[in-house]
Amino acid sequence: MNAPASDAARVWRALRGPLVLVVSLVTVGVLLSLGSETFPEGHLEPESPAPEGTRALVTLLREEGDVAVVRSSEAATEAVSGAGDAVLFLSLDHRLLPEELDELAGLGVDTVLVRPTLASLEVFAPGTDVTGRTEDGTPLSPSCGLPDAAAAEDASLGGELYTAPAGSVSCYPSDTGDALVRVERGEAATTVLGTGHPLTNAALGARGNAALALNLLAADQVVWLRPDPPREAGQTSLWELIPEGVRWSPLALLAALALLALWRGRRMGPLVPESLPVVVRASETPEGRARLYRSRRARDRAAAALRTGFLERSVPGLGLAPDSSPEAVVAAVAARTGDRPERLRTLLYGAAPDPHAADDAALVALADALDERSEKLR
Amino acid sequence: MAVTGRAALLGFLAVAAVAISGSLAPLVTAVALGLIGVLIVVDLVLAASPKRMALSREGDTTLRLGEEATVHLTLSNPTGRGLRATVRDAWPPSAHAGPRTAPVRVDAGERRRLTTTLAPARRGDARAAGVTVRSIGPLGIAGRQRTLSAPWTVRVLPPFHSRRHLPGKLSRLRELEGQHTAMVRGQGSEFDSLRDYVPGDDVRSIDWRATARGDGVVVRTWRPERDRRILIVLDTGRTAAGRVGDTPRLDHAMDAALLLAALAGRAGDRVDFLAYDRRIRAQVRSSGKGTQIGRLVEAMAPLEAELVESDPAGMVGAVLGTQGRARRLVVLLTDLNAAALEEGLLPRLPALTSRHLLMVASVSDPAVTEMAAERGGAEALYRAAAAERTLGERRRVRAELRRLGVEVVDADPEHIAPALADAYINLKAQGRL
Repeated sequence: MNAPASDAARVWRALRGPLVLVVSLVTVGVLLSLGSETFPEGHLEPESPAPEGTRALVTLLREEGDVAVVRSSEAATEAVSGAGDAVLFLSLDHRLLPEELDELAGLGVDTVLVRPTLASLEVFAPGTDVTGRTEDGTPLSPSCGLPDAAAAEDASLGGELYTAPAGSVSCYPSDTGDALVRVERGEAATTVLGTGHPLTNAALGARGNAALALNLLAADQVVWLRPDPPREAGQTSLWELIPEGVRWSPLALLAALALLALWRGRRMGPLVPESLPVVVRASETPEGRARLYRSRRARDRAAAALRTGFLERSVPGLGLAPDSSPEAVVAAVAARTGDRPERLRTLLYGAAPDPHAADDAALVALADALDERSEKLR
Repeated sequence: MAVTGRAALLGFLAVAAVAISGSLAPLVTAVALGLIGVLIVVDLVLAASPKRMALSREGDTTLRLGEEATVHLTLSNPTGRGLRATVRDAWPPSAHAGPRTAPVRVDAGERRRLTTTLAPARRGDARAAGVTVRSIGPLGIAGRQRTLSAPWTVRVLPPFHSRRHLPGKLSRLRELEGQHTAMVRGQGSEFDSLRDYVPGDDVRSIDWRATARGDGVVVRTWRPERDRRILIVLDTGRTAAGRVGDTPRLDHAMDAALLLAALAGRAGDRVDFLAYDRRIRAQVRSSGKGTQIGRLVEAMAPLEAELVESDPAGMVGAVLGTQGRARRLVVLLTDLNAAALEEGLLPRLPALTSRHLLMVASVSDPAVTEMAAERGGAEALYRAAAAERTLGERRRVRAELRRLGVEVVDADPEHIAPALADAYINLKAQGRL
């Protein structure tokens, strides 16, 4: 048999299978990740190519000027103060703290707000009120003197409706208010939009949406602020609540399980190979042939085989030579059994359309008839 | 290397210790795991080296299938340390070796004998695969393991079930041995002796010349010729692999061949043996008179049916090529398979039958006969018809062989050995050998 291999060779042989598997899995994973690029998702997300993203608008804006995408108020402050002609675009302003809103408002830069909270309205556009809403995306007409809006004409600006204080510009009126309000505060102006819908990838191509958006955000530097959700601070995590002993025990448990696995899994010597004998029944051929007969419904062949079997068993007992003519055999059998020779002839040798191979029942009848005859001849 | 349950237990104790250790956890983890590691290494170092153990074997080398054999393994410890080990004497699965593992303690410089019992389920050679020694250190935590080689082969001989028929057939044979003159004088009989006439003897066998010399009437007795040659040819091709009942056709054929060889050996004939498929698998040449059973059984033991179509031309060549041009009885143990025989053997038969007397013996399958008698529904009839067809082909081959002057013995596994023996005795009685 095989000589006991050296330990190193055995370990290598045992490990190379899993090793190859792991290496190939890693390779496949790396190759797959190289091919795919993931985009951030979310409403008015400047990088998202999804329908509710604004990647299209940002790409257009980048052709005209510079767009700085920022995620926090500090970054926005920094970006605005570094630029001359800037516009601050602010969405999802509920994620900002009141102090941050005050700080941003204090920058004195033109600001576009999308569906702001009441707190932001208070800070950026004092005196403006939310006075109603229409269905999102309803097309509205500008009907005002604001050049940006007038040039863009109709836009899908349905959303929250505002009522502006005296002295400010209100555009895109609907039943209970206006969808676009521009409020002057000092040298800067705040434009409030009741919806972000016209800016999204899905709606940018419709009506005057693109024109309106580009007009509103026309500046050398667009600061696109989409704040990240604020982090919680000062809370203990679940991990820190677990006692230190329990936190360390998985390491010991791992070692214990490894020892357990080694104890139970270490085999007493290599497996002993043995070539197994062939197990095939000698009756395999007739059984296969039987299945073939059955699947093809080969009644004619089955009937012929049954008849041949009967004749070969019976003819020697009748004192006839094995090669006797059918007539002689029929006559001899008829003499012993008392059957009509014509009927016997059909039974033993068949006829042109064989009545005994017509269907399964006829075949069963044939077998019964043959058995009956051989019983009589015995 | 191997670890014991104690090492795993220590590991779990370490888990418990770490879990209750509170703020000392990092320290306790390091200490506990380090301690376990050190203990394992110490135990490994202190364990007796299994590599240096010396092994030797003694015990049975042959047995008949169905019997048990014992093989002893002596483990000597030449090292200066006591060996505490688990030992596994590995054999192929079909050898049914027991016990699987045995705990052993061998003190420094001493020896210990382990006994393995084999109850092989298959004919052929069972070879010891190796002895695995797992030497556990004094702490009982870890051990070193090594598989050592201690070769030993136990040859499992064919069971020779048909031995029980031997006494009956031998007494039939003795009846022919010329103790009475009723025996027909034939071609193959030779003069044996003269004895006094007893009433009932054939008057034609009275030797008048001898009678004239003496007082009483003397008759001649005859006995079958002795010293005939018999060649048993075993077909080990694919048809021999088919199982009749639960045993391959080859084993049934071996059983019949052994009975025939035993009988012929007692009758004073020389028995040669040849196993053939596409080449010679085994060959035994008779070295003289007397029984060859021992050598025959040895030659048959490792034979297995090969999954190849037998080569009848080569077989005929091998038969004709065996030493001596003398006429002999060639007994071919094969399957009466219509396709294989008609294409292969039948065209080459004249070359064989012109010089030798050929007898073909085949094991028939009772399952096919049962299948042919199945009734009740079309499904059963299709099976019956298929079986009838197989039986018909077999009858046709049998008739064809007989027409060519070949003796044919076709019997089920129960009866093949006695039937073959009877056919041999009949040939002998007719003086046709």
